[in-house]
Amino acid sequence: MLADDMACNARNEYPAQVFNNENHKLNLYGDNVEVDYRGYEVTVENFLRVLTGRHENAVPRSKRLLSDEGSHILLYMTGHGGDEFLKFQDAEELQSHDLADAVKQMKEKRRFKELMIMVDTCQAATLFNQLQSPGVLAIGSSLKGENSYSHHLDSDVGVSVVDRFTYYTLAFFERLNIYDNASLNSLFRSYDPKLLMSTAYYRTDLYQPHLAEVPVTNFFGSVMETIHTDSVYKAFSSKTSNNKINSEMPVNQLSEHDELQKANIPNDELKTEKQKCPYTQMRVDLHEKLEKFENVDTVVNLGIAVMVFVVMISSSLL
Amino acid sequence: MACLVRSWIPLLFLQSFLVAIAFGSNEGEEFSEELLLKPLPDRKVLAHFHFENRAPPSNSHGRNHHLFPKAISQLVQKFRVKEMELSFTQGRWNHEHWGGFDPLSSMNAKPVGVELWAVFDVPQSQVDISWKNLTHALSGLFCASINFLESSTSYAAPTWGFGTNSDKLRYGSLPREAVCTENLTPWLKLLPCRDKDGISALMNRPSVYRGFYHSQRLHLSTVESGQEGLGSGIVLEQTLTVVIQPETTSVETNMQPSWSLSSLFGRKVVGSCVLAKSSNVYLQLEGRLGHESKNVDTEIEAHKLWMNSDFDLSLKPDRVIRESSSLLFIFDIDKSSDSEPFDLGLTWKLPSKWSCEQAPLHASRFLMGSGNERGAIAILLKATESQEKLSGRNLTTDGRCTIKANIFQIFPWYIKVYYHTLQIFVDQQQKTDSEVLKKINVSPSTDKVSSGMLEMMLELPCEVKSAAISIEYDKGFLHIDEYPPDANQGFDIPSALISFPSHHASLDFQEELSKSPLLSSFKEKSLVRSYTEVLLVPLTTPDFSMPYNVITITCTIFALYFGSLLNVLRRRIGEEERFLKSQAGKKRGGLKQLLSRLTAKIRGRPIEAPSSESPAAESSFLSSKLIFKIILVAGAAAAWQYFSTDK
Repeated sequence: MLADDMACNARNEYPAQVFNNENHKLNLYGDNVEVDYRGYEVTVENFLRVLTGRHENAVPRSKRLLSDEGSHILLYMTGHGGDEFLKFQDAEELQSHDLADAVKQMKEKRRFKELMIMVDTCQAATLFNQLQSPGVLAIGSSLKGENSYSHHLDSDVGVSVVDRFTYYTLAFFERLNIYDNASLNSLFRSYDPKLLMSTAYYRTDLYQPHLAEVPVTNFFGSVMETIHTDSVYKAFSSKTSNNKINSEMPVNQLSEHDELQKANIPNDELKTEKQKCPYTQMRVDLHEKLEKFENVDTVVNLGIAVMVFVVMISSSLL
Repeated sequence: MACLVRSWIPLLFLQSFLVAIAFGSNEGEEFSEELLLKPLPDRKVLAHFHFENRAPPSNSHGRNHHLFPKAISQLVQKFRVKEMELSFTQGRWNHEHWGGFDPLSSMNAKPVGVELWAVFDVPQSQVDISWKNLTHALSGLFCASINFLESSTSYAAPTWGFGTNSDKLRYGSLPREAVCTENLTPWLKLLPCRDKDGISALMNRPSVYRGFYHSQRLHLSTVESGQEGLGSGIVLEQTLTVVIQPETTSVETNMQPSWSLSSLFGRKVVGSCVLAKSSNVYLQLEGRLGHESKNVDTEIEAHKLWMNSDFDLSLKPDRVIRESSSLLFIFDIDKSSDSEPFDLGLTWKLPSKWSCEQAPLHASRFLMGSGNERGAIAILLKATESQEKLSGRNLTTDGRCTIKANIFQIFPWYIKVYYHTLQIFVDQQQKTDSEVLKKINVSPSTDKVSSGMLEMMLELPCEVKSAAISIEYDKGFLHIDEYPPDANQGFDIPSALISFPSHHASLDFQEELSKSPLLSSFKEKSLVRSYTEVLLVPLTTPDFSMPYNVITITCTIFALYFGSLLNVLRRRIGEEERFLKSQAGKKRGGLKQLLSRLTAKIRGRPIEAPSSESPAAESSFLSSKLIFKIILVAGAAAAWQYFSTDK
């Protein structure tokens, strides 16, 4: 989504070229760029529609986010922003609770497995304050009360060409070669607050995997994981034959499965611990009983009527 | 060894048989690529890329394409498009210097931004729905906001003013749409060789977008096959027209700049696209009448055509063709390859001047009036120097020579045009409508529903020096949500189209050129047309901060009102003095009072009036009640905390 046409702007001395550096070595706009939403189409409404997938029927597939429950999504936002908002087109704002609601909807509709949000604005970390959905990793270029600055001015083009956070992110990726297995942890550690002139803050409380084990290619670029199986049709056919599948999978898959089983065990322990406490046991029992009710509405209505009755009696007595 | 040979011979036959079948089913799909270079009189060079892709009629089911882009054939099939043209343009075609009468400028001088028109093959009631779906599909295909044309306020249904006579024609234009690499990328992906091979490999993006004018156009038309059961064939024509100024180091300003393909685009043609049936580069030089020599049979005479005192070509042309006022050099680039790239260059030796033929009248449009309430639009048609040449051909029935001009305009609904204020001036004298205006078709606009459309046919005398048409309008008000984010820039009125139905532009080549689609399209008679400028109209804009102001003022008023109301109702006069007095007289704690109050509440007895009790007891009771409450809440919180944390 590009709100302004920078590359072919009449004021751009270098048409069809967008540089990230004064030395003009790297043309980011390239030869094969495609932009789906641009100009007046970049609105908060369209952004939320793309995220949640609620489009009109006529909208073509190339303008939809065709993701499913196994997708890794990278969401990068830059521009002007502030405490819990991001500015759109000088006329609108995207607020943090709108973004959190959209991500919650996406999680309900199973539109992503892992989502990485990268925000490069002033007070960027506040934009993902309200996020609660699991599987989301968010990094912002500055904390509340801090500004994010641009890196340098290109006096040839006449504007600042790149922001500090973006510049150092790009510098990190330019240093890698195609066979490097850099992890997200190394990317996040590479931000130096003194160079950025702001603190790059990231939240991992909603993101389960350890950052040191997640390769950057999970989000930046696309590396498909292939699972090698010897048998052509039998694998993944039925859930009951778990044992058979385990024996056929290669070794690393086995270890993952074991880990999962191990992870299940502490949960069971917790559950038994919970059951010892009477108060919570009562709560749990009540919850289960309520769930068993088919007509929850009648119970609620009955309860309200009883309450009104009690209030009437007590007020008449007092 | 022999048995091995024998075993794979039948396999070979089988393979070739299968290949023949595969190709046989797609036989007839043709692709040709061409590039026309033309130096322009004002030291610029025009480069016109032309790609034509033909799909023959075949069964609509199981249509296999091997050259034709599937996206286009699916588009045609789904929306039943009979003919369509989509163009993305930036820059203004300079009619005075670059010409207006030749087929190239008539077909490729397009209005700024996006222009889309389509003729459908569906029942009349479904044309609008098909148009809407087509705009969405094209916006996804070409990375542009063409979907803004879906609403009925942005398109119109011209009848005869547009040149295509159909009632299922829809026309829309977006003057403010930007054109950049992202529009060229999907356009190039429709070509069989993309931008990797052949002539399309020349398209260096910075060179294209640095040009004074660049326009990419896609035109598709269906060819009905006579037979039942066969779907229609499709002809897809893609052109890119760029006007570039070559870098020149010469100090002489009289001389035309010398250029070559590598100096214009930074690249050379390295081999043709193998999927193309023909791959040619043409160089057209205008105003070469003087160099017509009688016999070009001798080698020396032919040599003089492209290497003479005026200019030099760096490569030998394969053919030279003459036209009434220009010379055409044809280069076949099939032979070029990595080792010998094709880099055509033109070096000027002597200053030369020529002029391109212009349309009989030069059209321009401007706004009149000031202020944000009303204004007027004027179209000015001025005679050009080619007018005398062309006037001899048009004679009406009573022997007068006239020029017919069709004017087609769309007005957005917020430009409320008063059609009765139409005034026509010929040679600065106002004429009554019936003298000059032969046909007029007006479709008035409806506020926020549809745009207005005006089609006029004027018949002007051949000797006319200038003609002007003016029409007045009122500016409308938009709802605050309908303003774009940059509302203070203004709003655009799309270009008007002026066409001359009595004239036809065509190049009359003296030789047979059926193999080249570009040149055969030039040979066909096409309508002379020119687009005027886009007009920028400032409309009244509201104060966009007003909603915020209203909310702030209202909330302040509510706060003041309710605050003061509550104050008035709740506060008792003199209560503060009484409270202070009671503080002075307080002695003992009121735990007994507290207990008595509690028991009274439980038994349901009415609470004794607080005024009977001593104020001293009251104050001490208050403080002990407060302490009791605090202890209770703290205890509840501690208990909650203990029970809710799980280990």
